[in-house]
Amino acid sequence: MKMASFFKKIVIPIKRFFQKDLTPYIVFSIPLIFLVVFLFWPLANTFIRAFMDKGSKFDLSHLNLNNFRKFLESPLYQKSLRNSFFLSISVMIFSLLIGIPMGYIVARVQIPAKNLLLSLGILPVIMPSFVGAFSWIILLGRQGVLRHALNAILLPIGIELPPIYGMFGMILTMTLTYYPFVFLLSYSAFSSANPLLEEAAMLMGASKWRIFRTITLPLILPSIGASGLLVFIRSIGSFGIPAIIGGQQYVLPTLIYFRVNGFWDLNGASAIAVVNVIITAAVLMVQKYVVSKREYETITTSRSEQKLYSHWAARLFGTVFCLIVLILSLAPQITIIIMSFFEKWHGLAPEGFTLKNYARIPQVSRRELTNSIYLSSMATFFAAILGSIIAYITERRKPKGSAVLDMAIMAPFVLPGTVVAVALISAFSGDSIISLGGTFAIIIIAYMIRRTPYVYRSVVASLTQLDPKLEESSIIAGATWFYTFRRVSLPLILPGIISGSILTFTTLLQELSTTILLYGPKTRTVPIQIYAAVADGKMGEASALSTVLLVVVFIIVYLMNTFQGNKMADSFKMG
Amino acid sequence: MKKPLQYDRVNKIFNEGSKHAVHALRDVSFAINAGELFCLLGPSGCGKTTILRCTAGLESLTSGHILYGDQDITSIPPYRRNIGMVFQSFALYPHMNVFENVAYGLRVRKLDDKEVKRKVNQIIELVGLADVLRRNPSPTALSGGQQQRVAIARALVYDPDVLLLDEPLANLDAKLRRYMRAEIRRIQKATNITTIFVTHDQEEAMAVGDRLAVLRDGIVEQIGTSNELYHNPCNAFVANFIGKMNFFYAQILACDSHWVKATLYDGTLLSIPRKNYREPIHPIRGDRILIAARPEHLSISTEASSSPSIAGQVSIIQHLGHIVRYEVDVAPEFSDQPLEIDMDSLVESVREKDNIRIVFDQQKIAVYGSDASR
Repeated sequence: MKMASFFKKIVIPIKRFFQKDLTPYIVFSIPLIFLVVFLFWPLANTFIRAFMDKGSKFDLSHLNLNNFRKFLESPLYQKSLRNSFFLSISVMIFSLLIGIPMGYIVARVQIPAKNLLLSLGILPVIMPSFVGAFSWIILLGRQGVLRHALNAILLPIGIELPPIYGMFGMILTMTLTYYPFVFLLSYSAFSSANPLLEEAAMLMGASKWRIFRTITLPLILPSIGASGLLVFIRSIGSFGIPAIIGGQQYVLPTLIYFRVNGFWDLNGASAIAVVNVIITAAVLMVQKYVVSKREYETITTSRSEQKLYSHWAARLFGTVFCLIVLILSLAPQITIIIMSFFEKWHGLAPEGFTLKNYARIPQVSRRELTNSIYLSSMATFFAAILGSIIAYITERRKPKGSAVLDMAIMAPFVLPGTVVAVALISAFSGDSIISLGGTFAIIIIAYMIRRTPYVYRSVVASLTQLDPKLEESSIIAGATWFYTFRRVSLPLILPGIISGSILTFTTLLQELSTTILLYGPKTRTVPIQIYAAVADGKMGEASALSTVLLVVVFIIVYLMNTFQGNKMADSFKMG
Repeated sequence: MKKPLQYDRVNKIFNEGSKHAVHALRDVSFAINAGELFCLLGPSGCGKTTILRCTAGLESLTSGHILYGDQDITSIPPYRRNIGMVFQSFALYPHMNVFENVAYGLRVRKLDDKEVKRKVNQIIELVGLADVLRRNPSPTALSGGQQQRVAIARALVYDPDVLLLDEPLANLDAKLRRYMRAEIRRIQKATNITTIFVTHDQEEAMAVGDRLAVLRDGIVEQIGTSNELYHNPCNAFVANFIGKMNFFYAQILACDSHWVKATLYDGTLLSIPRKNYREPIHPIRGDRILIAARPEHLSISTEASSSPSIAGQVSIIQHLGHIVRYEVDVAPEFSDQPLEIDMDSLVESVREKDNIRIVFDQQKIAVYGSDASR
């Protein structure tokens, strides 16, 4: 009797377990181990280090709040924190002020070249942001072209424009870099809002302004709110722009860099990182809440064409507004391209046409170019595998705690690059068990951690399109899990994997904020080289390298767009 | 050689142990004969699809056994069961052409190309897609009926032991649905594969199945041929689910071994053959009972008749072609719903709102004791 119950309780379940197809469990355990070792452990490590004394030693005996006390005592810390908030809030407000009208105009006013506006509109987000920052130095810096021109006009009335370095420069550059998030999201909200709702209000006798205030705006408010918060998260995590154009004004990411690079004080940097993450996480939670409110947009099924304003005044205003914004946001790219062909640009016009800037690239930056391509492609390859498998687990298997997995994989998406770098350094350099400091491996891992979400999201999107019955019917037909994955699932999610990977690759080519804390003499990348050249005042060399980067990124994105329709732009939106 | 399929006290509880636990199948036991086309019929959520998915191995049983012949297949993984399945959405692979879709199960079984080609052509011929295969397009370019045939061919090509059809006609329009259900029966009889056909449409189930099982809330209510279920439903639920059934209240007056005598609210006396008495088993004088009559077992009359009848008012007259359907309002003590009455032809003098008499065919009406199970 006892024997029988033992058999039933223990032996049969074990037998059943081994009769199952075990391949998926083995495959699935690999990414989980990766996440634990290279994400959870470094983050935990960073968190603990934040409570240790100044330095880089890992010492659990004297945990205290000294590092955090600096936020109360040190003027530099306080200034940085204030700057971060002021900067991010300003950028958010200005992005909303530019993006919402532009979205409304493109969606509802009859203006020419809408498609061009939409595809050019995404450019500032795709292009490296630190390139934008240093081109504004060329335009409005100490020797800036535009500053010279404006001062020539303004000096007679007694005004002199200061150079762009500082808060104004950061706000300007960041706004022009991040406003497309608001623009594109509010465009799609304005254009997808069901016109029948507005028409119904009109039939009930509401005025145009009343309709806008009571129908249109409330319906799209969550979308716009979410995009504004996204801009905030991006701004508070941005390293490149404050590093290049911030001058004496520190923000949290640059303060972290300063702590690590200047003092090798990992524990102090960890504390700043923790503060930075807490702010980002709080805003992210607000954003998630706002996004969850967005669902009522999609209740209706029948819809009619959006009616466009065709009054000449509306059209003129709309066209001029969009044109100005577009010129302002594309000015950096154009400036860089011009600059790259000249020796210097100190007056009104650039001087000394030359191709030397390009000719020097193979000599000066050969290693950086190969490094960039090698690091980006390796990281992309592994991120593609990792992201696809994790997407498959969370979406198909829906294991208990898949929400945690989802959060874990999305976390680096919002963690500032400098924070990820600090986490990896604190876990894997110096006296740690696995020492990776200065290696290619640590950069590849950092890239994977930061960019796997791109592939993950893209694959999740294609998986939700994929009917699970396709896989079930394959299994019933006699195929094992692996055969099914190879012949049915993989071919159908491949477009998602590819578009996620290309997005990953193009953003990695321009990665600066993580690399700058992790690179060694052998692992310098193109963005590092550009950053160094700007710091040395070698604008020509920096411009030529940047132009190469711009052209490569542009070609990849353009090709992708022609193959995949406008999907690429969509994946940037929430990014 | 095909074998019978047997379900032995099958239980399935989803989310067992949590507060969202759903007992989807309760002690389900029945057997399907070798080569039979067996229909599982019931309202949505009754557990019919769960039985199918358990048979395929896509869901594991909470307890009980499924046997194929003498072999217990309960814990055999789905890919080793040799089962064919057609899904409601067809689940055709959009990245493969028609030939490769059909050949999929053969490729899995590693047959050589010549054999694959021969078998695919043979099955395509059977399902009537020979000219489609010549063009061999992507399945996304096919019409609903053609996709359906591809899905059936794909499930049959490797000669499965059991064929499972999960609401296979639900995605087709009404006319095609009627045509395809005849096709499915033809193909099933040609291959003689033991088949389970799941549907919520009783007309479809009666037209297609050799036998039917009616399910409700995870319990098998009755199993039988279409004829048995229509003429001898075991309870009010089955009676109402298979075809239309009118129910009305009565009270038992007397009963013997041949007849049950019952009175209606207005004193009308009905004599019903004892064999039409379904439940309760031992009627007692004074019991309130439910009397059930098919629309064709009632008729409309303008004058008094020798058969028992009752007053009613015509509310709607519908011409349905082969019959005319009258919807008749009656006193609430008699029935809380309007009665449906089918006549072979229009009763000329009767208009909507007219007061008429409803005449009972006493040989055909049945008695169900309680109205709880309706």
